[in-house]
Amino acid sequence: MSHIDIRDMSFTYTGKRMILKDINLQIEQGEWVAILGHNGSGKSTLAKTLVGLLEPAQGTVAIAGTIITPETTPAIRKQIGIVFQNPDNQFVGVTVRDDIAFGMENLCVSREEMLERIAFFAKKVGMEKYLDKEPASLSGGQKQRVAIAGILAMQTGIMIFDEATSMLDPYAREDLMKYIRQLHQEGLTIIMITHEIEEALLADRLVIMKEGKIFADGRKEELLKQPEVFAQSALVMPLALQMAMQLDDEATFGEVKAFLWESTFAK
Amino acid sequence: MKNIVLGQYLPGQGFFYRMDPRTKIIGVIALMVAIFLLETIPQLLIALAIGVVCMLLGRLSIKRIAKGMRPLFILLIFTFFFQILFNKEGSILLQETLTISLASIGAIIALTILWRLLAKLRRFRFLLLLGYLAGVYFSLAYLAYGYTFASFVFTVYERGVEMSVFVVIRLLVIITLSTILTLTTKPTDLTQGLESLMRPLKVIGIRSDEFALIISISLRYIPTILDEANKIMAAQASRGADFLQGRLKDKIRQIISLLVPMFIIAFKRSEDLADAMETRNFIPGMKRTRISELAFGKTDILATLFIVSSLAASIVLRVL
Repeated sequence: MSHIDIRDMSFTYTGKRMILKDINLQIEQGEWVAILGHNGSGKSTLAKTLVGLLEPAQGTVAIAGTIITPETTPAIRKQIGIVFQNPDNQFVGVTVRDDIAFGMENLCVSREEMLERIAFFAKKVGMEKYLDKEPASLSGGQKQRVAIAGILAMQTGIMIFDEATSMLDPYAREDLMKYIRQLHQEGLTIIMITHEIEEALLADRLVIMKEGKIFADGRKEELLKQPEVFAQSALVMPLALQMAMQLDDEATFGEVKAFLWESTFAK
Repeated sequence: MKNIVLGQYLPGQGFFYRMDPRTKIIGVIALMVAIFLLETIPQLLIALAIGVVCMLLGRLSIKRIAKGMRPLFILLIFTFFFQILFNKEGSILLQETLTISLASIGAIIALTILWRLLAKLRRFRFLLLLGYLAGVYFSLAYLAYGYTFASFVFTVYERGVEMSVFVVIRLLVIITLSTILTLTTKPTDLTQGLESLMRPLKVIGIRSDEFALIISISLRYIPTILDEANKIMAAQASRGADFLQGRLKDKIRQIISLLVPMFIIAFKRSEDLADAMETRNFIPGMKRTRISELAFGKTDILATLFIVSSLAASIVLRVL
């Protein structure tokens, strides 16, 4: 039995156009999966069905053996947390401490336990010096780290990042990825929703979405051997990767130059 | 727009800061009642003196409190003159015939120009206003030269002066009390205190904890939304919108062009926030624990003693 088990799932807002079509996806405990796709491919909708914000029209989504229904969502959400795109729109508390506590308050964790966990997880994301700060005085990256700490403190085994880095600057982005890698090493199941290949390639497994369907699914090493998969789903390969794939080991400087010229200016 | 300070809260130390917000809220209400029970000016002055001593003991800067009360000075001045003009009891203290004549009108115009010229000296704004009013009075009273348009009798009664002083001191004390509360209590603590005090209302179906959550989320989002408003204004200004000039109709149109995107963004935000809260297992109406805790300490016991004895003293004074 897989940790996350999606079977024949479809989703629609209107009843007519299907946003997600016949999704079958199994994710094991401790995996790091990137769900990759360009805008409108249904990847964020998929994330929302995983946390019970949207209810599938057909099929089922199960977390650790429990199928998500309106009755089971409170229990499901103890096992799965999600960090959203906009750092400002998910900061509930008036201070960092309050925000990390919010999820635990909802789970009725005792105050002593909360203070302990806040100290521990704030340190883990490097925010221990900011506990009394207000969100307006934090940067976007810091707010995202607080959001991570808040979910870690709820001790969910699965963490979803729904384009969590897309509103951050490159440094904050790199920083956040460092924390995500660390969480993966500690055994958390990580699902990363993104449209950036560079980011997705940090994961072990790639699931490429296109027009509401799973277009490709596999280990990244295998998928990288089929560049056409990326091209067909309107994803642009990073330049370095294109180069590594198209030029062989004995390429001359002239060939490299020609390649760079062509890929940069001759499009 | 960073580090916006909401309300009047001023970080500091001293016992006012250590007090439980609940003690402060109830204290302010009880002491207001006590002040309203006092009947003579000396009693009020004693209350004011006690208040000043408390502020000094609590290491509050009186200057800062006076600054916080500045917007209410207009109200004080208005009350003062209202009482003087309309209270017609007791013996006559002053009777003067005021004349609107060419000379007095000229003097008033000159005074007004002078006053507006000196308006740059914002530090002496209050003194200048008083001086201006005094000048207007004297030109009406003594400059009855030239053609006279109208004249009337201005009378000040003893009771009027007494009442105006009394009412102004009373207002001053009450405003000071509430200023101390807002100056030394964070908006969030204030909300939490109110929540805790409203908890018994659960019996009649008022959910104070949700009310407190709504208030604290609103407080949390004020800087974010102000920031957004600034961004939208900058974006529109860069395309030629002008929020400061133009006729009223144009200004209203500009404001609408600001409000529409603001509302759309706010709705989007609230939707996102609802998702974030829901996925962190927030279920409206469910029991939750709280990270912040109100603690009733030693200072609160002393403060309660003080409040109860002041209230008792004013009741005794009233009854006797």
